[in-house]
Amino acid sequence: MQKEVVDSMAMKRALTRITYEIIEQNKGVRNVVLVGIKTRGVYLAERIAARLEQLEGAQIPVGELDITAFRDDQPKDDQAPSSYQLAFSVADKRVVLVDDVLYTGRTIRAALDALMGGGRPQSIALAVLVDRGHRELPIRADFIGKNIPTALQERIKVSVTEVDGRDGVEIIN
Amino acid sequence: MADRYLILEDGSAYLGEGFGSPAVSTGEIVFNTSMTGYQEIITNQIYHNQIIAFTQPTIGSYGINHDSYESILPTVKGVVVRDVASISTNRQRRWSLDQYLKQQNIPGISHIDTRHLAKQLRASGPMKASIVDVADAHAFDQLGATVLTNRQVAAVATPKPFPNPGTGLNVVVVDFGLKHGILRELSKRACNVTVLPYTATTDEIINLDPDGVILSTGPGKPQDLPESVLTMIQAIQKRVPLFAIGLGHELFAMANGATIIKLAPEHHGANHPIREVITNQIIYASQGQGFAVNPDSVDRDKMITTFVDLIDGTIQGLRLRDFPAFSVQFFPDGAPGPTETRDIFNEFVESMQQARGPMW
Repeated sequence: MQKEVVDSMAMKRALTRITYEIIEQNKGVRNVVLVGIKTRGVYLAERIAARLEQLEGAQIPVGELDITAFRDDQPKDDQAPSSYQLAFSVADKRVVLVDDVLYTGRTIRAALDALMGGGRPQSIALAVLVDRGHRELPIRADFIGKNIPTALQERIKVSVTEVDGRDGVEIIN
Repeated sequence: MADRYLILEDGSAYLGEGFGSPAVSTGEIVFNTSMTGYQEIITNQIYHNQIIAFTQPTIGSYGINHDSYESILPTVKGVVVRDVASISTNRQRRWSLDQYLKQQNIPGISHIDTRHLAKQLRASGPMKASIVDVADAHAFDQLGATVLTNRQVAAVATPKPFPNPGTGLNVVVVDFGLKHGILRELSKRACNVTVLPYTATTDEIINLDPDGVILSTGPGKPQDLPESVLTMIQAIQKRVPLFAIGLGHELFAMANGATIIKLAPEHHGANHPIREVITNQIIYASQGQGFAVNPDSVDRDKMITTFVDLIDGTIQGLRLRDFPAFSVQFFPDGAPGPTETRDIFNEFVESMQQARGPMW
């Protein structure tokens, strides 16, 4: 059974609010860089960057992170990049990591490892479209689109137009 | 129907036919371009002590229903139309406009060339006007001698707190003459609302432990309100999410150092395109504003302009950079008018949820 819990309008609004909150927390956008976690996190990061540009007229760098090689729950994949991947340095930057769903926190732990080769960031914050709970690591998000309390056996599906042809969040069980 | 006159401060007179109450009345005349929604407009407290001229040629065709009141009692001083519908039909209709205005002791006048009147008012700005039986020198003398109050908010805002209970987030609405649409939208979102008078102090608000605060719409000039209102806003905006609407928006801007200008021509209608800056998307909104925030006075290190009117570039929304406090000049409750702007109430609710943290 599928149930849509966030429609395209609500998703747009959540990204808009997260953008304003990023400005609030960072006192502007100076030194801010966005890093999207593949796949959907990248598109969400790009949308936030587009909004920041509309408001502030500043181009915010957006990086893409593939965390496959840094995961702790899968055998090592030699194809996946295991060194620093971003085109820019994160040294002394205020990094905002962007992902679609925050669940156990293991993806974010891996993303932190993947970032660390790029110098010492001033700070790293986390923005997620959905926080579904059930953390297994001491990790929390700074910017949350929507808190969706879930049961363990349920799945959360985030769709973005760029990949899935539509925007929305569904609970599947 | 008796012959009556609409006379204006500048000496002009329009011959028309009376409807509604036969009373003689005086107020500031403004014109409204909405094609529908006359009931919401007549009952909107922002038009306290004003005479509303509708540019839509026929007004009253669907009567008055019990879903569309924006206040308990209307306080407008008159209704000016080209043509008042002699027959009104709608399944929700309870009364005709004529009956309603009679009940509320508000005079109406029809057969006015509202197109000419609107052009005149566009050039002159709002003026004092009267609906009278005889347009003689005495009537003009009386009109000229009438001093209109500048204490509109005190006249229409609630003198005492009252609740609008719900089971969800705790919201305090500071009442400057609110329209019911604000309470209606909060009710839909299950908010537990307390409405406080506009004289409420910071402590009175914070002691209610609100998850968020709304500064309501209201009539008149924001500069006429006491300085203490601005002090309250300056304190509240740092404590909880704040959403300011209409007059509330103008006060929010003033509390953050902006100045207010008189708008000419004024915006009263439901058809202005407005750009949301962050998404570059165009929305339509219902407006009723005689004042606007002076764009040159906005401190860009402190505030972001979030909405801009595409017709004359006036500021339609602001937001603080450092706190979840934002405002819109237009009526986001869409009563009457386009309903897409109601989404801003969702944004307010989500800001409150975000500020108070997850519930598990």
